[in-house]
Amino acid sequence: MTFATKKTTPRRMTLAAAMLAGTALAGAVQAAEVNFWYHFDNADNPMSALVEKFEAENPGITINAENVPWNSYYDQLYTSIVAGTGPDAALVKLNAQPRLIEMGALAPLDDWLAEWDGKAEVQDNLFTLTAAADGAQYYLPVQYVILYLYYRTDMFAELGLTPPATCDEFREAAKALTRDTDGDGQTDVYGFGFRGGKGGHDHWASLTVSRDGAGFGPGELTSEAGVAGTQFVLDLFQKDKVFPPSAPNDGFKEIIGAFQGGQTAMTIHHIGSSAGMVEALGDKVAATPVPECGGGHWTSFGDESTAVFSDAQDKEAAWKWISFLSSPGNNAEFNKATGQLPVTKSDSASWDGHDKVFVDATVASLPYAQLLPNTSETADFANTVWPVAMQRALIGEITAAEMNAEIDALYND
Amino acid sequence: MSVTSVPPVPLSRRVLPLVMLSPAVLVTLAIVFLPMVQALWMSLHDYVLFRPKNFDFVGLKNFIAVWQDPVFWTSLRHTVIWIAITVPAQMLLGLATALLLNQNFPWRGLARALVIIPWALPSVVIALMWVWIYDSNFGVLNELMLRFNMISAAIPWLANPDTALYAIILTLTWQGFPFFAVMILAGLQSIPQSYYEAASIDGASQFRQFWHITLPGLSGVLMTATLLRVIWVANSIDVIYVMTGGGPGYSTYTLPLYALVKARTGLDYGYGSALAVSFTILLLGFVILYLRRAGRNIA
Repeated sequence: MTFATKKTTPRRMTLAAAMLAGTALAGAVQAAEVNFWYHFDNADNPMSALVEKFEAENPGITINAENVPWNSYYDQLYTSIVAGTGPDAALVKLNAQPRLIEMGALAPLDDWLAEWDGKAEVQDNLFTLTAAADGAQYYLPVQYVILYLYYRTDMFAELGLTPPATCDEFREAAKALTRDTDGDGQTDVYGFGFRGGKGGHDHWASLTVSRDGAGFGPGELTSEAGVAGTQFVLDLFQKDKVFPPSAPNDGFKEIIGAFQGGQTAMTIHHIGSSAGMVEALGDKVAATPVPECGGGHWTSFGDESTAVFSDAQDKEAAWKWISFLSSPGNNAEFNKATGQLPVTKSDSASWDGHDKVFVDATVASLPYAQLLPNTSETADFANTVWPVAMQRALIGEITAAEMNAEIDALYND
Repeated sequence: MSVTSVPPVPLSRRVLPLVMLSPAVLVTLAIVFLPMVQALWMSLHDYVLFRPKNFDFVGLKNFIAVWQDPVFWTSLRHTVIWIAITVPAQMLLGLATALLLNQNFPWRGLARALVIIPWALPSVVIALMWVWIYDSNFGVLNELMLRFNMISAAIPWLANPDTALYAIILTLTWQGFPFFAVMILAGLQSIPQSYYEAASIDGASQFRQFWHITLPGLSGVLMTATLLRVIWVANSIDVIYVMTGGGPGYSTYTLPLYALVKARTGLDYGYGSALAVSFTILLLGFVILYLRRAGRNIA
């Protein structure tokens, strides 16, 4: 038996290379991985069920879903993107969008959206709200909430109070609710649980930015109305003493814990915490829109979307995963885990994930729900400028006018 | 007079130590010196992380800004207070503990093991534990002080700018004293018993024995342990970060924390690096002075 030695021709080499490349490509498709970052407060979140369902429907794509702690979520996201170790897709808020675009970190979704059947299922205004300043769509909405006022129905009934509709009523109610209930000479219930730490800008804005003439535009916060709003917050703490003394440092855990534990009679948060509230307090908790202050209403629209990053190893696979999360059925499952509200029309129509009173308060707040300015400064505002300025104002180091001037300078200088 | 000639050391013997040391040196260069040089380089640039394409050389601009930044001076003042109270307090508590643990008493081994617990616990656990101790609604500290009529109303220890820094100093003192206790205990056991017996025969009181035998015998250990703790405490931010995040306002900002907030949260790595480099130079100056002074005293 003889073997003829065949001469390797360029054509054969090209063919072999193409076959090799094809094999490698097929391998790559088979081994597509999507590293997905998200943040859930809920410790026993059922994300794994969604991942399993997706992987069964999309063989060849593996989802590595990582729950990143909220406190350092954006610190880690930005640094990992610059270091080249960022995720392929992630849960993102609108106030991070300008920075992520500036970094060139986001992949536009427009082409995929144009061909996606699920687009018509997403509630109409959400794409408008999450559109980028350059007209492109980088975010795919996945959940939303609107902040409202939680109050203790039993305490209100005991004192013959009605839920406050205006800032004046809010102040009077908070003063009446701040009391010593066990006769030991110590105040043990405070009228309002104010979040003075990171993330508390929503509380402050509801009582300040709502006022006619106040806002984030040039000179609006330093106007009489803007300063009066911040002074109102300071007076509640310093003069009326209706916030717990720990308010300057209090964060999410503290305000929710104090409300559930009966140390505060009102606080501001969203439907995401309602299940825990009902579990702790039963029918002693209800919700109502935040009060109207100084002639206007303002509450925070809490958006959450998903995005595909421009450095994603397989953008197509990442898009499949995020569009899966915003599709009917899956979106409902996702929101049952986060405790927030679904973005799809059919899931919203059949939604039974929350008690009616909290859904009603959310819907009633929708007409005046606002987003913080869609600029790069908002991340600084929320993460550093507002918390430090608010704490300094609460402890008397700076005045209301000085605090507002710092925020005005951030946005408008 | 005869001259004895020393045989030349073979090349292999001379090179061997360098070869053996090189992995450690290379790793140190890679994970300590390289980031240090990078930080120094970044401090001379405008470098904001969300504008990664802009990396403009600005010379000493960031350092001049640091010098003119009131928060830098506030943080520096807090850092000095932080070190000046925490390290001596840890040392005194550690000394007292070591002297007690050096006595003969039942279950001494168990007591020695238990005392190490604060040192062995992760800083985050300690910080969270003390946040609850200080809590103004549920905290055990307020509860005890109210029961014993030491205060008339619960104090928000961590939300009050007058008490927040000192409350964290107490936490760190509690965490760090076992290190001194263990080091000093080892030092105590190296002092020959015969010194005390001789002093006792000469009629020296317990205090005289402590002053003239124990303290000089411990000076080397104390110097080393103090230097290490100064460096560690100065750079320690985890406990502050978890307990107050620097607040309320700037009340618990120390320089390393300020650098972290500027760089990691504010994403201004140029300015954050300038803060870190400034602090490193200050700390290095202190360490050199300390080594010279303490070395002379011990000699």
